[in-house]
Parts: sequence; structure tokens; C-alpha cells
Amino acid sequence: MNSDATLPPDEKRERLAGEYVLGTLDAEERRRVESALATDALLAAAVARWEARLQPLAERVPPVEPGANLWPRIERSLGEADTRVVIRRESLWQRLALWQGLSAAGLAASLVLAVLLLLRPVPTPSYLVVLAAPSDRTPGWVIQTASAHDLQLIPLGRDAVPSGKTLQFWTKADAWQGPVSLGLVQPGRTLQVPLDRLPPLEANQLFELTLEDQGGSPTGRPTGPIQFIGRAVKVL
Amino acid sequence: MTERSPDPATLLAACARGERAALQRLYQNEAPLLLGIVLRLVRDRGLAEDILHDAFLRIWRGAAGFAPERGSARGWMCSVARNLALNALRDRQRLVPLADSWEPLAESADPAREADGRRLEGCLQNLEAPRREAILAAYLDGCSHGEIAQRLQAPLGTVKSWITRGLKALRECMT
Repeated sequence: MNSDATLPPDEKRERLAGEYVLGTLDAEERRRVESALATDALLAAAVARWEARLQPLAERVPPVEPGANLWPRIERSLGEADTRVVIRRESLWQRLALWQGLSAAGLAASLVLAVLLLLRPVPTPSYLVVLAAPSDRTPGWVIQTASAHDLQLIPLGRDAVPSGKTLQFWTKADAWQGPVSLGLVQPGRTLQVPLDRLPPLEANQLFELTLEDQGGSPTGRPTGPIQFIGRAVKVL
Repeated sequence: MTERSPDPATLLAACARGERAALQRLYQNEAPLLLGIVLRLVRDRGLAEDILHDAFLRIWRGAAGFAPERGSARGWMCSVARNLALNALRDRQRLVPLADSWEPLAESADPAREADGRRLEGCLQNLEAPRREAILAAYLDGCSHGEIAQRLQAPLGTVKSWITRGLKALRECMT
């Protein structure tokens, strides 16, 4: 007797919104409305109107004091949610797959480096890092150190960076809590980085270039995909 | 003189900026109302507290998306909690049976909302009794069509039409 098919669209929408707020829709209908709310502005507005109309009734339900352990439980869950974000970031650095086969890149890179060393009259570096693309392990950058207190990031090619994006340079030693930014990088340009404010370089220290929004990561930690990554090797 | 707590909209805006203390204030101020609403719907203390827990996580995460021009902050929080409770009710069998007798309502705690409350009440009073009772049973007690039919001793089709027509009359009365 109330067949939806005979109702004009406005009436159909009002009825659906009203019954959604009232609570009489079944599980499947509720889910359909909930997913439609994100895209159907008219339906969302109708739901909001129904919520406002009936709200005074909800506010007249006698209050019930929650148990003393409920707020601590909520706080714990909020804490866990925060920690999960941190762990996810850490795992980027610990992803095993990223390291598998990087030794192959090492071989390629050592050839590149040999050429580089012959061409450039630089002091023998005490540490060497080859930064390779995680996808195909192509070496893209080399880091050499003249001393333990500054380093040079040298491009092996000229990689295009999408507009609105920038490369950001990071490092992390094994014992550090998290990666530290060494600054933004211009594609194809050598970057000289003083390491004054960091502990001296050490073997196995991680370096990477990530793709971040213009101006660098807003969080102080890498947020974008890794473009190049490598670990410091002590050179005799 | 006791310090007045900021209103829910101000606290919600602070939550959107990541201020955990603002969420705790909101909890202190609003959790009893929300638990009252949710408990009346689901009738199970443990489930009601689980729902309230989830509701506050949603309120924290959704605070930035709350638009004050769309409605009251307290209303939004009530809707978050009610929707979780209704989803829980519709997704499973009731754990605890409905009460037989009608439970009384309190006076609204917020005098500024009294005018809205009186308007709604006037419109509800204008409805024929079965339509009004069907709507109250659904909104306050979370009754499904079938549960209302049982409670009011009426055929399912009749209950559905009471609700459709009751809602339509209510909307016209309040517009």
C-alpha cells in the first residue's frame, strides 16, 4: 500500500532518510543508505534534517553514568591507534624485500663509482653509499664522505620529479629512533650536507630519498614512496 | 564559582586540532547522555559500553569533518552513537529482550533546546496514538517493524504504514 515505485523521488528520499534516522531500516538497507550518504548530498541533507528534528527526544533519555574503566579504555585505544602509525612508518625501514638483491646494485654501482673516482680528484672517501631504486635496483645517487662530518650526495643521472613534488634526503643509523631529514634534493644536482648536528657516520647507516610534497614532508618523517635507498659501507 | 565547560562545538573543534584533553572534557560532559541513549537501544550494559567506546574513537577521528552549519555538535555525537547502536541491533539478534512497559523521559538538560523539544512534542501529540507510539518505540527503543508489531499487537503492514504516515505528518508539522 506504500509501494516506493509510486512515490515521487523527493518523497522516496524523505521516507528513506526518516526511517534511517528512526532506525527501522534493516541491516542491508542501513548499509545502502550509509554508503549513499557519501555521494548523495540531497539524501545527506534529508538525513541531517531528520536528525535535527528528532534530536530533542534523544536528549530526554535519562543519562547513565559509564563505568570508571571506560575512559581509560578509550584512551588506551587512542594510544594504540597512534602507535600503529609510528610502527607502520618504522616498517618502511625494515622491509626485508627492499634489501633483497641490493647487493646486485652494489656491483653495478662499484663500477660506476670506479669511473667516478677516476674522473673526480676527490679525497678517498671513508664511507660510501650507493642509493638504488627499490623497484629495479638501478643506482641513482652516490654518497661520498670527505670526513665523518660532512657528505656529498652526487647524482648519477637526472631523474624527473613530478611537478608539485620534491625529493627529500633522509638518514638513520641502526640505534636511532627514527630517520632524520638531511634536506631537499634538486634532481641532477650535487648536494653538500654538513653533518654537524648528527653523530658521526657509521657503517650500515641507512640513507634514502623519498618523494614528498613540495616543501618536504610535513611530519618530519618520510611520508612518500622511497625513490632510492642504500646503506653506508666503510671504504678502506 | 565553578568554571563553565566550553560548549560541545568548541570542544569538538579542539579535538579536530588534536587536543586529547578536549575529548576527555567531551566525554565527561556527554558520555552519560550518550550511554543513556545507547543503553536504552541495545539493553545490554557491556555492549552499550563497547558501542560508546567505538563512538568516542569515531568522534575523535571525525571531529575535523564535523560541520557546525549542518547541525549541533551534541546532535552529531548522538547520531554517531545511535548509528553504531542501530547497526549493532540490526546486525544481530537482540541479546536482552525489550521492556514491556514504557519508560519515562527526563526533562531536557539544555534549556536552550527546550523550544525545539516543545515543538517536537506538540507535533508528536498531534499524531494519532498508534503512529506516535510506533515512532517512539523505533527511535527510543530501537524496535524493528516486527518488534513494534508485536508490542502494539498490530499486523506488520499496518505498522509500516503507521510509521511512513507518522513520519510524513511529523515533517509537515515541523516544517
